[in-house]
Amino acid sequence: MTKDAVQGAAEEADQAQSKKGLKKQQKEAEKAAKKAEKQAKLAADTQSTDEDDFAKDRYGVPQMVQSQQKLDRVLVRVQKLTPEKADQLIWVRARIHTSRAKGKQCFLVLRQQQFNVQALVAVGERASKQMVKFAANINKESIVDVEAMVRKVEQKIESCTQQDVELHIERIFVISQAEPRLPLQLEDCVRPDGEGDEDGRATVNQDTRLDNRVIDLRTTTSQAIFRLQSGVCQLFRDTLTNKGFVEIQTPKIISAASEGGANVFTVSYFKTSAYLAQSPQLYKQMCICADFDKVFCVGPVFRAEDSNTHRHLTEFVGLDIELAFNYHYHEVIESITDTMVQIFKGLREKFQTEIQTVGKQYSSEPFRFLEPTLRLEYTEGVAMLREAGVDMGDEEDLSTPNEKLLGRLVKEKYDTDFYVLDKYPLAVRPFYTMPDPNDKKYSNSYDMFMRGEEILSGAQRIHDAQLLTERAIHHNIDLEKIKSYIDSFRYGAPPHGGGGIGLERVCMLYLGLHNVRQVSMFPRDPKRLTP
Amino acid sequence: MSLKELSSLEKALGLKNTNKYSTQGDRKVPVLQSINGPALVGLVTIATHLVQEAKRPELLGGSAEHKAVVQQWLEYRVTKVDGCHKEDIKTILKDLNSYLEDKVYLAGNQFTLADTLMYYGIHHVIVDLAVQEKEKYMNMTRWFDHVQHYPGVRHHLPPVVVLRNRVYTSGHH
Repeated sequence: MTKDAVQGAAEEADQAQSKKGLKKQQKEAEKAAKKAEKQAKLAADTQSTDEDDFAKDRYGVPQMVQSQQKLDRVLVRVQKLTPEKADQLIWVRARIHTSRAKGKQCFLVLRQQQFNVQALVAVGERASKQMVKFAANINKESIVDVEAMVRKVEQKIESCTQQDVELHIERIFVISQAEPRLPLQLEDCVRPDGEGDEDGRATVNQDTRLDNRVIDLRTTTSQAIFRLQSGVCQLFRDTLTNKGFVEIQTPKIISAASEGGANVFTVSYFKTSAYLAQSPQLYKQMCICADFDKVFCVGPVFRAEDSNTHRHLTEFVGLDIELAFNYHYHEVIESITDTMVQIFKGLREKFQTEIQTVGKQYSSEPFRFLEPTLRLEYTEGVAMLREAGVDMGDEEDLSTPNEKLLGRLVKEKYDTDFYVLDKYPLAVRPFYTMPDPNDKKYSNSYDMFMRGEEILSGAQRIHDAQLLTERAIHHNIDLEKIKSYIDSFRYGAPPHGGGGIGLERVCMLYLGLHNVRQVSMFPRDPKRLTP
Repeated sequence: MSLKELSSLEKALGLKNTNKYSTQGDRKVPVLQSINGPALVGLVTIATHLVQEAKRPELLGGSAEHKAVVQQWLEYRVTKVDGCHKEDIKTILKDLNSYLEDKVYLAGNQFTLADTLMYYGIHHVIVDLAVQEKEKYMNMTRWFDHVQHYPGVRHHLPPVVVLRNRVYTSGHH
């Protein structure tokens, strides 16, 4: 090859390259032009909106609320939107539950807690085309302030809780914008079991829901569950306070396990270690010895059981009761069962809406109970089970399936979902349980059941320091660690008994739910520490 | 297993002279060496023979259709029930349960050999059922309870407790 040829080839290559480059440039120019065109159009659009929009002060995203001003504006609760408010101009703050634009109008469902109402933005005197477009484009779950006229509707709106009215929106402002994509859809969370399968629609499994608990808690079902749970606590407090009980607070960091050392969390405590309380047991008893007579305590309780079942949590709320009695521990049982009955009655009277809301997603029979509460002895229970073909020993503890079966048998025979099983075998109870005076094999202890599942465990406690020491030795407990507890009985201690109730279990079983995580706001179990 | 069953069947039929049985093969198929003729092999064959010997031919069915139904269930017993896998038991229980919905006995209104052999064959399954499952397969359980109380049938098997009232009416849990 000559030098020229080489040069020529190089030129050719250059030319080829420049040709390619030219094409590229051309393309880029086209792109840029398109972009510019788009931008211009957009600008024109916004300009035109700016220009033609007579309603531009009636919608938008205002400044973040940093408490700049104290508006003298009354925000009406969605729940209160009834025909009585018809033809009034009101303000509402709510979430955008769903939105559906249809030509010149846009339907919104505004939600506030478990209540929702239909709202409408339509092009007209008060709203412009751009305003309707803006309303339709607000992301789901955003919080908006809305000024609207309440109007009666001819046909009931079946999909909303406020069925008799709708809102004709005159102003709409976004107070807090939600991200466009939600990790899960609220409708998918409240779909009754099995219904989604038929239509091939999505259901959200429990773990996903718990992972995004904040959104899941917004569902009507969750809202109802936790309102009812709050009701249980309040009814518990009110009932006991009326009976002359004193509410106490006990430490949760303790030096010794109260019921068997296996299932306690150990925490490091400076140079030594401590435990997280499995129950306020020892402390409420010490309060009895300190003449408080009747005490109760509402607070967290920890169990380090590595069991992943539908009804176990590692941290739950314990409702604990302890009271001194005169001659027989049945006085204690009666006091506790009466409290439970008051709670059931209170729920039935004051929380019917919540019960029905939960029932829409998780259907169950209404909770049944007797007055006075049914009390069966352990031996009677075992006899009923044996009659049904269950093979079990006299002093054997009830297994979970047997517990449930007994619940069904009791329900069939006595038509009650709540009963007390009395006189448990001594061997299966903690060391501080008072033995039965007539039969050493049994004890003055009891469990209470709702829908065949245990919610309360209680007993008459040993108030005699010497017997208590004997029983502790029998259970191989280090006396040194419970010295202060045993000592508290040396200076005169009244006979007393009590019990501890799991708040979550009571709610779960009252509503007939199937998993305790549904009634724990931020559940803790061996596999879950967040959120 | 099937030898015990045959001796129970003999007693149920009221036969006095107890026959001598042996088994053959891995699956322990029962063999009866009869006095006047060749050896009989197989549970259903021997059982049919015993019924003839006891002069109780009605246990094999009256009419031709009835006879055919009895044969069908005898066959079902040895082909489907015997040596059935754990996961298939549910299917069998479901089948029996829906079949027995409008019947007292397997072959309609008369007690036959099919009931006896099905009872023997399925007993080990029913013994392990939970109360809830027994209620789920209610028709099957009713038939089973009836057969276990039929005069002379039960013999070597322990009775199974059957509740007369429904406990799981609501389908809760």
